[in-house]
This record gives sequence, C-alpha cells and structure tokens, in this order.
Amino acid sequence: MIERWALVSGLRGDLETYDLIQRDLKKTRGVTALFVLGDLVGPERNCDALLDRLKNPHRGDLKPDCIYGWWEEQLLAERGFRGERKADALRLSQGEDAVSALLNTVNPSHLTWLASLQFGFIELDCALIHGSSSDVGDNLTSETSPLILLDRLTRLNVNRLFTARSTKQFHLELTGGGINSQVKDLNGKREQQQEVPKRSVIGIGAGLNYTLYDVGSDKTHFLTAGSKTNPKGKGFA
Amino acid sequence: MNHAIISCLHANLPAAEAVLNDIDRQGIDTITCLGDLVGYGPQPNEVVELIRNRDIATCQGCWDEDIIDGLNACECSYPSQLAERRGHLAHQWTDDQLTDENKSFLASLPTSLRRDRLLFVHGSPNSQHEYLLPDMDAFAALERVETAGADILFCGHTHQPYIRELRDGSIRVRLQNADHDCDQGEELTLPMRKIVNAGSVGEPRHGSTNATYVIHNDATDEIEIKEVPYDVGRTCQAIVEAGLPKVFAWRLSHGFEFAEQAEDASHVCER
Repeated sequence: MIERWALVSGLRGDLETYDLIQRDLKKTRGVTALFVLGDLVGPERNCDALLDRLKNPHRGDLKPDCIYGWWEEQLLAERGFRGERKADALRLSQGEDAVSALLNTVNPSHLTWLASLQFGFIELDCALIHGSSSDVGDNLTSETSPLILLDRLTRLNVNRLFTARSTKQFHLELTGGGINSQVKDLNGKREQQQEVPKRSVIGIGAGLNYTLYDVGSDKTHFLTAGSKTNPKGKGFA
Repeated sequence: MNHAIISCLHANLPAAEAVLNDIDRQGIDTITCLGDLVGYGPQPNEVVELIRNRDIATCQGCWDEDIIDGLNACECSYPSQLAERRGHLAHQWTDDQLTDENKSFLASLPTSLRRDRLLFVHGSPNSQHEYLLPDMDAFAALERVETAGADILFCGHTHQPYIRELRDGSIRVRLQNADHDCDQGEELTLPMRKIVNAGSVGEPRHGSTNATYVIHNDATDEIEIKEVPYDVGRTCQAIVEAGLPKVFAWRLSHGFEFAEQAEDASHVCER
C-alpha cells in the first residue's frame, strides 16, 4: 500500500489556499498524513479562520499535524511567550509596522494553541522542521553550502530533512564524498577517514506549492494546489 | 613568531603561574586565553587578577559566562545529576567569592577573538558550551571552522589538548527541483582546516596532572602541545580548605575525571 505524506507551509492565514490543498489531497491516492511546517500566520490577512480550521478540521479533511514557524515565533515572542525575547528579527527586517500588522491578524485566543506547537517532528528517519535544528529561521536552500546542510542533518541524526523556511521546492541529495582527518595529542597521532552518508534536504515550498513524499519509495513530488499536474510527473527518487 | 594559547585555568593559581612562567622562559610575548578563568578551583580572584594584570587577551568561557548570566546551559554541561549538583555548588561558591570588579572584567570579555585567519573561542564558534571533541564528526568539525571564516580554530572546554587536521574533503550533491527534473550533479571540494584544543591549565583531563597549553608559530603554522608540572598538592589542599567538594581535589590529583567525561561526541549544544 502506498503511504504518502503531504507537506505544507507558508499558508500565512490563507484559508482559501488550505482549502485547495485539502481538495487536492482528497483526490490523491495514499496520503496518510498532512504536516503543516509552520508559518500558519502572517501579517497580510486575518488568520483566525485558518487557525480555527486547523484546530477543528472539517469532516473529510485530512487532519493536520502542525509545528510552529518563523512567523509564529515572532508573534509568540512579541506576545511574551518567549521570555524576554521580542519579535526582534521581524522588527529588524521589516520594521515596526510589520510587527503591529502581525499582532492584529491573530486573535489572542489562539496564542495558547500556537504556543503549544512543537518545534519539529521526527518521523522514521526524517526530520520535519520549519528551518532546521539550528534555528526556526535557518534559511536552507539548494544554494546553501553542502557542508552546512550535512551539519544540519548530522545534528539531528536523520537521513532526510524537510524544511520550509526558504519557501522553495528543491531536493538536494548528498550522494558521496569523504574527508580525512588526523588527530595528534599527547598519546601520538591517529588517522580517520569518514564518508558522506547518503542524505537529503528537501525544501517543501510554501502557500499553493506543497510536497508529497512517498515513504516506501523515497520519492518526492512537488505540486501546486489547484493545478492538474499528476504527481507521477514530478517524482524524484 | 611563536604565540601561546592557554585555556580553562579554573581558579588554579599554582597551575596558572607555572604555565605563564614556562611561556615567559621561552620569550613568548603574545598569549591568548580561551576563558574559564574561574570555576572548580579555590583561587578565582587571584587568577582573574593575574590575567588582568598581565593584560592577556582573553575570551569568555562557559564558567565566566554563567557567573555573569546565571546557569542556563543545556544538558551537555554535566554528564550526570551528581556532577551537576557539584557544579552548581562550585558556581555558588565562586559567585560568593568573586569581587564586583572581577565580575565586571568577566562580563567584559568577548566570546571570540580573531587575528587574521586565526579564530579563538572557548567552546566553539556557536557557543561557549559546545564541546569540539577530538573524534567528533569530521564534517561537523569542519563546518564549525569554515562557517566561522577561519583557517585555524583554537578552542578549549574539553580539557583534552589535541591538534586536528581536516583535509582531502569533498561532498558530491545532486539537485532536483520543481523547475528542473534533470540531475545537476556536482562535487564540492572542501578546504583544509585545523582545530587546535589547548587543553586545560587548571583542570587537566588528559590522563596526567600536568597543566597543558599550546604554542603556535604563525609563520610556519607549526603547533606544539606543552605540558607543565606544577604543585598539584598545593591546589588540592586549598580546595579542601575552601570547603569545595573534595572530589575536585581528587580528580585534579589524577588528571582525569572518570565520571564526568562528555560521552556523546556528536552532541551539539542547544543552549
């Protein structure tokens, strides 16, 4: 039996997009889990309706498992859920108006639920995180140094890292290589060789762009909600 | 020109004096200290004042940071609850002993120092609390040096001196994305980098009671690990007289902390 995960992020309050994705998933065979990797909220529109839907799925909806993303982190920090930290990253990058706009898009009644969301999931040998284990804002892309990507995978001891922060869809596979090292201490010298393990970092996209992952075959499908693309056409092994 | 790197003095005045005398005897003028001036040992004010009076360039260690900011390290700082309780006791004792002036000095220390392509930190470029152990994942080790923009990373924190050369590295990647179904395989050649751990002046854990430090020649890049004997008994006596846990004196007299080695070389501090 096919087992597929749907991976979604960057909805930023857009209930219409979420509804389109849910409709797609109903028509797609084998989808057993829906992971929403953060950025449920954003400053552009009121997010209450989407948050209500995520918390209370409609009949027939694939039940979402959500984690928090960069925008939730900013909101929760500004609302006092992160100790002394405030929405400094947002304030620095987009100014005070963006902070005010974000605060106005989410009813405070949702904050406790948002604060209860986890940083990430580990499923099988996969990590599902908004950024990386280094930081929720860690912006991993296909351009990021493979050395950094390998470090992020090593930190989690997983073979696949699904990340959303960049909003891009990509599948970067580490296929080989190695390194030699020599350690010299007061007891003498020793040589070590280490090979690059076969591991991948997958950017799942944002908004209408989402990803299906076939657990059994390790294939990734990059999709756009509402389009008629057959998942088979964009499968990457 | 030779320069000396010392670390983890841990309020052990006889050890600090012996190492500085050894460096002076060799005519080395440039000394860099990688922090942890205090903690565990019985002479925190004396050691801080020795470093201050000699105007030695110093970066902040995890103990120095904790004295200023309070204890908020992740679980990697202590390998057991017993070790954690002893550490907290030593933290409180040190906090009580240190003068305000010496605390201000510790608070003023930078987390890293840089001279050209040489970077000096206590634990790692990420955190004063992160251990760069000699056998940790080689790619992760290289990432720490490379991301920090250094050729040689000098660190301490593990209390085990070593020189690690990372070379002949490469990573092959294959990219697929929504726009391009075709493979874009390429190979990244990794640069050669070094990590040099200075060990510990005041609380060696390398199997000997001798204090350790390193000398680096910035013209030839030759690096030497130095061992210096000192009056261990004098420090042990002072530990007991100060009322600090006697196990601190015991392990100092053995040069190896059997119960308190960080076991997980791949652990990355989450502080």
